[in-house]
Amino acid sequence: MKKKLWYKNNDTLTGYMFLTPALLILGLFLFIPTMMTLYYSLTDYYMLTPDLTAFIGLDNFKALLQDKLFLKSIGNIFKFVLFIMPIQVGTALFLALLVNNKARGTIFYKIAFFSPVVMSLVVVSVLWLYLLNPADGLINVIFEAIGFNPQPLLTSPKQAMYVIIMISAWQGAGYQMLIFLAGLQNIPSEVYEASKIDGATKWEQFRHITLPMLKPTSLMILTTTLIDAFKLIIQPMVMTQGGPLNSTLTPVYYIYRTGFTDRQVGFASAVTVIYGGLIIIFAIAQRKLIGSADYE
Amino acid sequence: MNNKASKILYYVLMTLLAALFMFPLVWMISSSLKPEAAIYNDLDSIKALLPSGHISEWFFSYKEIFGRFDIVRYMTNSVLYAGSVTIGSIAVNSLAGFAFAKFDFKGKAILFGLMIALLVIPGETIMISKFVIAQKLGILNSQLAVILPLMASPLFIYMFQNFFKAIPEDVQESAKLDGANQFQIYWKVMLPMSKPAIATVGTLSFIMSWNDYIWPLMVLTDSTKFPLQVAITNINNTQPVYTNQVMAILTISTIPLILIYVFFQKYLVQGLSSSGTGVK
Repeated sequence: MKKKLWYKNNDTLTGYMFLTPALLILGLFLFIPTMMTLYYSLTDYYMLTPDLTAFIGLDNFKALLQDKLFLKSIGNIFKFVLFIMPIQVGTALFLALLVNNKARGTIFYKIAFFSPVVMSLVVVSVLWLYLLNPADGLINVIFEAIGFNPQPLLTSPKQAMYVIIMISAWQGAGYQMLIFLAGLQNIPSEVYEASKIDGATKWEQFRHITLPMLKPTSLMILTTTLIDAFKLIIQPMVMTQGGPLNSTLTPVYYIYRTGFTDRQVGFASAVTVIYGGLIIIFAIAQRKLIGSADYE
Repeated sequence: MNNKASKILYYVLMTLLAALFMFPLVWMISSSLKPEAAIYNDLDSIKALLPSGHISEWFFSYKEIFGRFDIVRYMTNSVLYAGSVTIGSIAVNSLAGFAFAKFDFKGKAILFGLMIALLVIPGETIMISKFVIAQKLGILNSQLAVILPLMASPLFIYMFQNFFKAIPEDVQESAKLDGANQFQIYWKVMLPMSKPAIATVGTLSFIMSWNDYIWPLMVLTDSTKFPLQVAITNINNTQPVYTNQVMAILTISTIPLILIYVFFQKYLVQGLSSSGTGVK
């Protein structure tokens, strides 16, 4: 009995020894910042004068609800999420279905579809800045060659967000294609053969075998895409600085600007609380919704 | 006949799609391999996607940009940051995963629950408080500030925990009978058995650190400490800007990732698929 107790205590000590580095880092850079954000959101913390910080209750949140830029950024991100979800995930699934066969040359196509993934978001953003230059960018040259008028693209408040949507989908689809492909290859071929004998058409096979069996994969891809989409910042930061006319300003970019550029930590924390809360609610709601949806 | 037509249609569609996905990367690399004026002269022909006809002109832009900026320094910084993060992340997360998988201690359930709860915090949104912490710790403008936050991740701990849990208890027990202590069990038994988990966490950590932009941009003021990603936007905003030189630095910063994806692609898919069936 005594011996067992000693063992247990020993376990606790060694257990915590193994955990210490992780607990320290997660505590310092994840847990404490989260708690601090909650607290700062109720204060007027200014980065250069932390000693003068006063508790101001819900004033930041009241100001936020009337803040035109914040509301604009929320509108912008919803537009982004609404379009990128079907475009990127749909493209990824479509590409995965296209390369999921033994036809010659599929490996080359796989590499081609995956090639945007190897570039970082900064590289992608700078590269497209040149390609999309309205005056002498390759895109407008191609547009003119096939008979379209040259477009203002990123310099137009009407087009800029859609351009960012297309670039982001183009960059991300290849990665998800690989994950869909892994999911497709896990479906036993006997299932398809059996349904063929029963006289199922290609479409029926897709609808009643492929889609339901891809459900775990799709759920994972949809959840990660949604959360990543909500965190959009690098593309607008590098390509448009949130413009033109704030048409590509996103909430995370707004947090960066108010909290870091303008040093209004208190106000930025309030933005974080509202927006972070929104992301968490969406992530959970989406999981529940798709998780309970009946595919049959 | 019908079969043949659909086959042709398939290849035409695939080739068009492939071109659509690949032309920016090809344009980037070939534009870095030609003189500035040639980039814009070539735009309206297929030559836009080909490097200069004279091999002697290929590396001119690289020579120029290495002369104008301390590219070697930026590359060294990026390799150093990504290397430290990779090793640190494997060590820190596997140690914690081992503790959660194989130990029975007070507070374990609460800590594990808290960690899983932290998984839902969208990291980028709390960057301002994170910055204030770095400020209070006095590590602003240091290499430590760049790498430390990336070294622990609830997701990676969870991945290691899952992996270790699948290793049978007997393995641990027999090592114990041989007189090994817990650290020896971790180092000599558990780690060698978990190469796939190490490869997955290591690869994802390397890519995360290599591509990291906002955080280093915030904490670093001294340009000699910039990683490549921050240096890129810096160079792109430093007059005079030459397109071929910008494409050269973009190409330089992409090459290591191409290699990583070529060699470690299968671990990336494995890691992501397994994380998706779990709690995330």
